[in-house]
Amino acid sequence: MATKIILNGEAVTLDVADDTPLLWAIRDHAGLTGTKFGCGIGMCGACTVHINGRATRSCITPVSDVAGTSVTTIEGLGGDGSHPLQDAWVKAQAPQCGYCQSGQIMQAATLLQDFPNPTDEQINEVMSGNLCRCMAYVRIREAIHLASDAMGTTASDAEEKADA
Amino acid sequence: MRKFVESLYNAATNGSRNNEGTGITRRGFLIGSAGAGFTMAFTMSGLSLANPAEAAEKGLFEPTIWFRIEPDGKIVVNIVEAEMGQHVGTALARIVADELEADWDDVVLYYVDSDPKWGTMVTGGSWSVWQNFDTLSRAGAAGRQVLIEEGAKLLGVSPDQCRARDSQVLAGGRSVTYAQIVQAGNISRSFTDDELKKMPIKPPSERRLIGKDTLARDIPGKTNGEAIYGIDASVEGMVYGRPLIPPTRYGSTVDSVDDSQAKDVPGYQQTLVLDDPSGTVPGWAVVIADSVTAANKAARKVKVNWTAGKTAKVTEKDILEEGRNLIADDSKGALVVDDGDLKGTFDGADSVLEQEYITHSVLHFQMEPLNALAFKKDGRWEIHTGNQWQTLILPTLAKALGVKQEHIIMRTYLLGGGFGRRLNGDYAVPAALASKMLDKPVKLVFSREDDTRFDSIRSPSVQKLRMAFDAEKQVIGMEHHATAGWPTQVMAPGFMPKGANGEPFDPFSIQGADHWYSVGAQRLRAISNGLANDTFRPGWLRSVGSGWVNWALESFMDEAAHQAGQDPIDFRLGLLKAEGKNAGSAPNSVGGASRQANVLKRVRELSQWGQDMPADTALGVATSYGQERNMPTWTACVAKVHVDRDSGKVTLHHLTLVTDAGTVVHPDGARAQVEGAALWGASMALHEGTEIDNGEVKDHNLNSYQPMRMRDVPAMTVEFIDSTETSVGLGEPATTVVGPAIANAIFAAVGVRLRTIPIRREAVLEALKA
Amino acid sequence: MIKRVILGAVVILVVAAFIIVWNPSISRIDPPAAGSFKQADVDHGKVLAGLGNCGTCHTANKQKPFAGGVSFPTPFGTLYSANITPDLDTGIGHWSEEAFVRAMREGVDREGEQLFPAFPYTHFTKVTDEDLHDLYAYLMTRDPVSQEKPANKLEFPFSLRPLQAGWKLLFFDDQRFEPNADKSDAWNRGAYIAEGLGHCTACHSPRNDFGAEQTGAAYDGALVDGWYAPALNTSHSTPVAWTEEELYQYLRNGGSELHGVAAGSMAEVVHRGLAEAPDSDIHALAVYFNDLSGAGGTDAAGARKTAATAIRDAKAAGQRQMGHGEQIYAAACASCHANDPDSPNLMRPELSLNSAITAPDPTNLLRVTLEGIDTPSGLDGVVMPAFHDALDDEDLVALADFLREKVDRPAWKNLQARIDELRQP
Ligand code: FES
Ligand code: FES
Repeated sequence: MATKIILNGEAVTLDVADDTPLLWAIRDHAGLTGTKFGCGIGMCGACTVHINGRATRSCITPVSDVAGTSVTTIEGLGGDGSHPLQDAWVKAQAPQCGYCQSGQIMQAATLLQDFPNPTDEQINEVMSGNLCRCMAYVRIREAIHLASDAMGTTASDAEEKADA
Repeated sequence: MRKFVESLYNAATNGSRNNEGTGITRRGFLIGSAGAGFTMAFTMSGLSLANPAEAAEKGLFEPTIWFRIEPDGKIVVNIVEAEMGQHVGTALARIVADELEADWDDVVLYYVDSDPKWGTMVTGGSWSVWQNFDTLSRAGAAGRQVLIEEGAKLLGVSPDQCRARDSQVLAGGRSVTYAQIVQAGNISRSFTDDELKKMPIKPPSERRLIGKDTLARDIPGKTNGEAIYGIDASVEGMVYGRPLIPPTRYGSTVDSVDDSQAKDVPGYQQTLVLDDPSGTVPGWAVVIADSVTAANKAARKVKVNWTAGKTAKVTEKDILEEGRNLIADDSKGALVVDDGDLKGTFDGADSVLEQEYITHSVLHFQMEPLNALAFKKDGRWEIHTGNQWQTLILPTLAKALGVKQEHIIMRTYLLGGGFGRRLNGDYAVPAALASKMLDKPVKLVFSREDDTRFDSIRSPSVQKLRMAFDAEKQVIGMEHHATAGWPTQVMAPGFMPKGANGEPFDPFSIQGADHWYSVGAQRLRAISNGLANDTFRPGWLRSVGSGWVNWALESFMDEAAHQAGQDPIDFRLGLLKAEGKNAGSAPNSVGGASRQANVLKRVRELSQWGQDMPADTALGVATSYGQERNMPTWTACVAKVHVDRDSGKVTLHHLTLVTDAGTVVHPDGARAQVEGAALWGASMALHEGTEIDNGEVKDHNLNSYQPMRMRDVPAMTVEFIDSTETSVGLGEPATTVVGPAIANAIFAAVGVRLRTIPIRREAVLEALKA
Repeated sequence: MIKRVILGAVVILVVAAFIIVWNPSISRIDPPAAGSFKQADVDHGKVLAGLGNCGTCHTANKQKPFAGGVSFPTPFGTLYSANITPDLDTGIGHWSEEAFVRAMREGVDREGEQLFPAFPYTHFTKVTDEDLHDLYAYLMTRDPVSQEKPANKLEFPFSLRPLQAGWKLLFFDDQRFEPNADKSDAWNRGAYIAEGLGHCTACHSPRNDFGAEQTGAAYDGALVDGWYAPALNTSHSTPVAWTEEELYQYLRNGGSELHGVAAGSMAEVVHRGLAEAPDSDIHALAVYFNDLSGAGGTDAAGARKTAATAIRDAKAAGQRQMGHGEQIYAAACASCHANDPDSPNLMRPELSLNSAITAPDPTNLLRVTLEGIDTPSGLDGVVMPAFHDALDDEDLVALADFLREKVDRPAWKNLQARIDELRQP
């Protein structure tokens, strides 16, 4: 059965079996290959996309479960690839092979949404689900801090809201 | 495989060979086994002559095959190495651009497909910068020379009044850009190998790009989804394949296939049983379907009956036991080093220290699971995949497909991690075979479980080390026996030099053991573990042998220091004398052991060495020269750990690393390599590691295999020694020092000695209780 | 158990034989014209149908609301819900209001047949005349759908409808809701909804061998429809008491920061059932359940403090664990569930506060983990992936054990058996 979603802002119909993992629907049917396959069991984070704005592992999310939602992939983050996180990632020269990085960035976006000024402990907790086999961890952490600083205004807005 | 290697050797004998038995081949390895040492390198000159006529026709300037300048001034540098996280393209292009006096912004990287003109195509051994530095520098210099000559003409001055800078030729107040020079036409000069060899290059003080930081060119595409990896390859009309992997690596046969259940899966097409003339994937079947998901679903429902090969019951324990037996038998193995009167020295020793060290199996677990797309187009086979050693797998693919090697081209993609897994291109073979059977493009995508089951793992190893001391507790002799599965023996046996006793050995499996410590009489014996070789295909895994060798060596040096009653750093410094064979030689190992001593001293200053620590917290040290005596990367590491006595948990707090890698081309990239390599070392010491069980690895995915994650990452201090010496490799050396540094720190913290990696909490607890 | 049940059934049968098992048929009417109902009544009826969650049990196919056909596996066999659209042949088109009211209050259909108590008339009997009228108005103005009710598949002797009369004699009390004069209006309103149309105890209370709610065990928690409906009274298992505000958030939005997310059948209750209810009713329910859980005096600040302590303790306990379960949690769960103890985030459901972990039954944790949560259920916009192919049994057991240890509860004993059952296709 076909599933309708909003993919990076555009309405698309994914004509695949209901139990097709969202990952493969995105990669092979929608043709967006920035989202990666790493483990297929929800434990590496390479396949992380946003569903209604929140990081979710697409490799074990059946496409029918997200019918009607808005899905954002790395290609759609920040519109033109200049999301503060992406800038920070370049600044910190975080990627090595780069294969895990789409997932890292998508997960980091949700991290910063929930913890605008994350401590290292919070980064560890949230980001430990994203494996980086090149072990670029030091720089991923640095990039998250850089992005958090760059997004400073947003962060204090979020705090104000939390305080209100 | 053997045939291929022989053909390489024949090429070698036909070409020039020098008297020391060092074969220099146009397209092969440079292998030397001079005395106790060995060197390993490739000549990259290949056919460095570009096609000047063709270049002229296109209005390009292409003095060598390594780069060309287009009429708009764009400088395209050909990258022959695989891009897998090292940012190698940036480093190599900076070498060319520096000598060419190019404006870095004009430089574009081009990652080439396989072609004989590139010579041996291999990315491994941390060789890329070391082995290309000279060639690329000279190519850049040649280009600069011609541009100056032509620029001078255009400016109407003599060449010696000109200099080149930022893609321009300058004379007095006037200038002409490289683009203008190329547009002006007629500079179709190109250079022979010999001319290039004589090409002078700039003194280090004149370098403008080398040693300066820059943003790596491959990075932006890796933050926005644009980077294309092997798994992203696609072609019109392709079908998807999912392998069904037999119970043993070798010797399994398919008895029957029942796909009746799979027929209900929409999109399922058929299951192929592969017949592989190359013997690479015996007993394989491949499920073919319209999509990855359909192939995966169907794969669960296809029942294959196999007759397993003879290793179906082999366990890790069996392999380690075999290793012990081999070590116990003096007649086995190759004597890589055999200096002085070992027996006499040990017989006359005042005391002898002897220990055994173990390392368990390790998975590559590169993030991108294995995959390959294969199809035939215009009479030629195309293999689309990420690969580290095209030259090694091409002959195998030719055999599998029954075509000439020239009729196969390997297209180049980014690698989602290599770490040596993709030096072995075996995963391309089943894709090619399936495509041939179907006469259709086949994209084979391994599940993660398939990937780990088919991994070329790091072999488990057993090592025995002995050291003889005189009455003054001075070291007078040392022996080191190491056994493991040997990747080079299995996959490229022609590349094995011979030991002092005439036995061939896998240099990669003993590298790091031929150390720069002056220890008197010395014997180093390398033994291949046949049971390991039969059970799995041993792999070159980041740092290969030095990964296990240095674990034993540097743990042992620590034990020896305590035996001698000395501080572990002082003890080592006492042995790093830079005399005799350890004095070093130009160009690669200038300074010898003194440079290793130097990094040790520096790491002592940078870490909190000798200072008081909280309870059950301590520092441990380890050092290494990397892998090859002829390409030493002087490395020292101090690890700070805390041991929780209740749980046995070891927490790694801090790593301090000092590296002397000679000239560092791309400092930030170099730092990233050291960071990654060091954390790999920590991961293998404390987190990952698997075991062979029933003839295959026990852990198949992340539910049980646990590489280091963000939360396990220690604080790090990384420093490079300022140097203009020969540029050497950086991808691996740091991997080898972290494990022993951790174990030595554990000993310093709580007094227990762990001689097996991975170091499991349970083992620490048990040792604490004992 | 089955022996006892059969024995009991025989007793009931005998009892039933002695009473008059007869109800008159109420004559067919021509369906009332849509215009004969006041729009306000119809509108209110819609809210009431939501409060009663009628749609969930009476809608098998979303394209055919209220057309019945939903199956209910019970220990006695499988029952199917009736078509309650005003279709003349297959629905209730010929039912007069009197017949409707009798069915709601007495569990007898228009023709006088006993209804099975899976239809909770034991609760609906408490509903006022006005509300029943509005509900009738609403149902009779739906689009008629022609859909036969599948025949029940009950084992003998449970298939005997007259038996229900005996059951009623034992377990049914035909009584309207009586307000409690000692309690507030809101409390009484909440109690009226919960005990009447809402029929909350139908899920949240354990049942006896005859399928009737156990007396004296209201809101003790029970396994129902393959989900565990947790205890809502003072025996509730969660570390933080339910405050009015938390209850309100949970019932209104499907989740609360200090308790978690409504999933499974409760997701339907919130997102389908209560969606149309006015805020005042949700508040009333919150008042009632807050009292029921024994947390009358707990203020929001106090609850937050308790929660912070619980999260902190769980974190510390988790850090002491280094086994397989902890590793899985760190890799697969923490990215979405890790919280700052002082400000747990609704969008990151905090597991250490969640009854899926603290309840005596592992079903909810296992099901949610295996099946995930799709968009229509759960929090608005939050999806949880399905781990059925990702985690093997050993992983699941290790994870569940770890989560229980984190919240300092004894390990669940029936994990493997429950996993086996839930993995059945
Ligand atoms: S591929 Fe989805 S988490 Fe690894
Ligand atoms: S950058 Fe290679 S896996 Fe993370």
